[in-house]
Amino acid sequence: MQRFLTPTSLFVLVLAPTVSWAQLQTAPADTSTRHLRLREVVVTATRTEKALTEVPIPVTVIGKQQIKTMGALRLSDVLGEQTGLNLVADHGRGIQMQGLNPEYTLILVDGEPLIGRTAGTLELSRVAVGNIERVEVVKGPASAIWGSEALAGVVNIITQKPQPGTRSEVRLRYGTNRTADVGGTFNYKQHRLGLTVFGNRYSSAGYTLQPASGQATVPPFASYTGQSRLSYQLDDKTTLSISGRYFIENQSSELPISSEGGQTARVRLQGRQQDFSLNPTLTRCFSDKLFGTLRFYHAGYRTQENYTYTANGAPYDASYFHQTFTRPEAQLDWRLHPKHTLTAGAGYLLESVEATRYDQRHQMRSAYGYLQDDWTPLPGLNLVAGVRYDGHSQYQGQLSPKLSGRYQVRPWLAVRASAGRGFRAPDFRQLYLNFSNPAVGYSVFGTHQVQEKVAQLIAQGQIALDPATGQPLINVALLTQASSLTAESSRAYNAGFQLDPTSKLRLTANFFHNDLRDLIETAAVAQKTNGQSVYSYRNVSRAYTQGVETDARYLLGQHLTLSAGYQYLVAKDRTVLAQLKAGSIYRRDPQTLETVRLTAANYGGLYNRSRHTANVKLFYENQAAGWTGSVRGVYRGRYGFQDRNGNLILDAANEYVPGYWLLNVAAAKTFRQRYTLQAGLDNALNYTDPAYLSTVPGRLYYASVAIALGQK
Amino acid sequence: MNHLFARFSLLALFGATFTFSACSNDDNDNEVKPAEALKTETASNLAPTPSTAPTTGQPSTPRHYAFYSFATKSAVAYTDSATTKWDLAVRGTDILINGGSSGPGQGGAIVKEGLFSEVTTAPTTDYKVDAPGALAITKGSGKGWYNYNTTTHVVTPIAGRVLLIRTATGKYAKVEIVSYYKDAPATPTGTEPSGYYTFRYVYQPDGSTNLK
Repeated sequence: MQRFLTPTSLFVLVLAPTVSWAQLQTAPADTSTRHLRLREVVVTATRTEKALTEVPIPVTVIGKQQIKTMGALRLSDVLGEQTGLNLVADHGRGIQMQGLNPEYTLILVDGEPLIGRTAGTLELSRVAVGNIERVEVVKGPASAIWGSEALAGVVNIITQKPQPGTRSEVRLRYGTNRTADVGGTFNYKQHRLGLTVFGNRYSSAGYTLQPASGQATVPPFASYTGQSRLSYQLDDKTTLSISGRYFIENQSSELPISSEGGQTARVRLQGRQQDFSLNPTLTRCFSDKLFGTLRFYHAGYRTQENYTYTANGAPYDASYFHQTFTRPEAQLDWRLHPKHTLTAGAGYLLESVEATRYDQRHQMRSAYGYLQDDWTPLPGLNLVAGVRYDGHSQYQGQLSPKLSGRYQVRPWLAVRASAGRGFRAPDFRQLYLNFSNPAVGYSVFGTHQVQEKVAQLIAQGQIALDPATGQPLINVALLTQASSLTAESSRAYNAGFQLDPTSKLRLTANFFHNDLRDLIETAAVAQKTNGQSVYSYRNVSRAYTQGVETDARYLLGQHLTLSAGYQYLVAKDRTVLAQLKAGSIYRRDPQTLETVRLTAANYGGLYNRSRHTANVKLFYENQAAGWTGSVRGVYRGRYGFQDRNGNLILDAANEYVPGYWLLNVAAAKTFRQRYTLQAGLDNALNYTDPAYLSTVPGRLYYASVAIALGQK
Repeated sequence: MNHLFARFSLLALFGATFTFSACSNDDNDNEVKPAEALKTETASNLAPTPSTAPTTGQPSTPRHYAFYSFATKSAVAYTDSATTKWDLAVRGTDILINGGSSGPGQGGAIVKEGLFSEVTTAPTTDYKVDAPGALAITKGSGKGWYNYNTTTHVVTPIAGRVLLIRTATGKYAKVEIVSYYKDAPATPTGTEPSGYYTFRYVYQPDGSTNLK
């Protein structure tokens, strides 16, 4: 079923998807959706507007109303409650998708990437959700259209577009830990001009789970977000839109630092992080068959950390990190034939980084092109084939194909399947890091310069000599591997179905398998005279993740929806599996001290993966009476934390963190369609695990008030 | 024939000790039975003194190693370090054998992957000896006999590593280190006194390679 866009609807599309999608209803009604849900349109799956019920790959959409009913403030609150997404903490809170770490999920705002990752994790609480129209989550690799990082999937945050009329809203919320959130939105649109403005201040006194450590788990912070979009219709076929974003967070804390000789000094840390972006976009509808988009995106991310002694204010340490991302891109959507829609795009990317641990400013350049055919050979059958090539200045080019299809077998049954390749480019750290630990004495060099740095160390006599041969102790094979570092990649397969047995019930399931290659690991390439090693990075490991994700949704009544989700996940390192097969991994019984050989059955897989995750949610929405409410339970099954018995793999019971439930409730009442009061309680069961769960404080109570101004 | 010979020499050497008593249980069929298994000994808490700095409680490097003899099943005074009275010496995570740069004996070592019980014969070649900066039992986490966890700071002897030792006098033994902490706690937290070696070993006093 094809729904190519009329010129008028296209304009509205760019500016206001919520309106545009109503216009798209002219397409034949999809009986499979029945009364369960409105026909939602998504853009992330194919980079063109496509009805959610028609996309051939798994997509989850979380809409504005649901976000409000949940009482969510930040993106982490929203994503953490979705089936198949786990919040994990590693230098920030990120999302684990299909068992893959946060660095393998691309995070977009209106189709442009958010930058600024620390050790691969993009802190999701940097994103306020007060101006979000919806969040689209695409699962499975999407490198065929989105390029690097879209290996596990893509999260695209769609912000509100200007809507006709003038209105605004102000919101105030206060809760446990002196957490305060103040903000507002403004919307204007008349004739050719549209404007949205969003401002938010979010602050908290933080919390301390382990008082004995003398250090706050989350120190006090305050952050400000500003976001705006201006759109102007240049003529009846052309629209210019400019959006911008600015975020700043200040955080200060005190921590004990132990120096040599066992003395402890207190040090104050002042941290600041900022990100900004500017994104002008020009769209033109050349005819009812050809639609063009020109985009320019410039983004920056900066952090600054200053450590000073609390006692006398003397400097202890300071560091900074500056990153920029600049990208022009063009895309054409061409309805070649009633059954074919071609999408072609090309772009150029310039990235730069400058930081304390990098010896100079570095730049990376990349050029790319992508092509996609959305083909409907038969009614009910849709095939999407896409391919993208990314050429890069620092590593070998990447070709990412993907094929996906969906077939409506019966009005109540649809099946879909896809196969594709995903990749993740080596990051700045892996290419350019230049770091020597002053206390311990080891060094880490990015692969771009490790040869040169090792040569320098040899010349300085800092590399140990082999006592037998008198030659420097260098692993030449590893050094060569490091110098030819390439992207991590995956081959992934997804297959699933959607079942609508009655008008009130919908069941979906998706089976996934991700076969990962060339995963980047650190490797000791040389030995220093101080007994420590020189490390760099190389492509080495192979792993896989596979499992199934299922969702069920049932309309209990006119206003009440019950839903449940479950994911079963297996994630294993293939190197470990080979060692287990060869019988070369052992374990010692801690009581009897007897050693036994382990088999594949003893292996718990990759750390930080729960075999079972689940959620159960009840949403009540009665707009007429002004009441909304929700009760959401999210379960994370036990997962491996770290090795304890010295064999480096996950195999013993004490290497796991126990599973837990988080139960969140919220209720809101709107008076006279203007004033909304909301109260909520997160983590109602008061679950905490100070040793292993730094991101879960105890119970959090909150209350908020929102006032809508202007015409309704 | 080989087995019989081994047994006779054993009897000759240790007639009054465990071998004899083991024999006496089955002297009816001692013509056909293979040699009696050697006994697996366990040495506990071998550590040099002091192994912790008195002021901070942090492990510090003791002045001397702790020395051990398989033949006498006991520690040897460090004053005998220049003799062939000892076979193995420990300090921190370093393990010395009595050979090469570490001592006057014929000592050598091989770190072999496998189960202690599966190693039944000692090889006669490929033993490494200690050299300055390159011990026969390689230093470093994951390289020799232990793994160091950078998060918990716990040193764990790698399960499935058997140290094949040629002793100071050229005899053979196999060793499995089972704990690095005092009194071999089941789950060390890293705060217990460290550098206290508990190890199991089988020593073949007759000079043969049989370690069964």
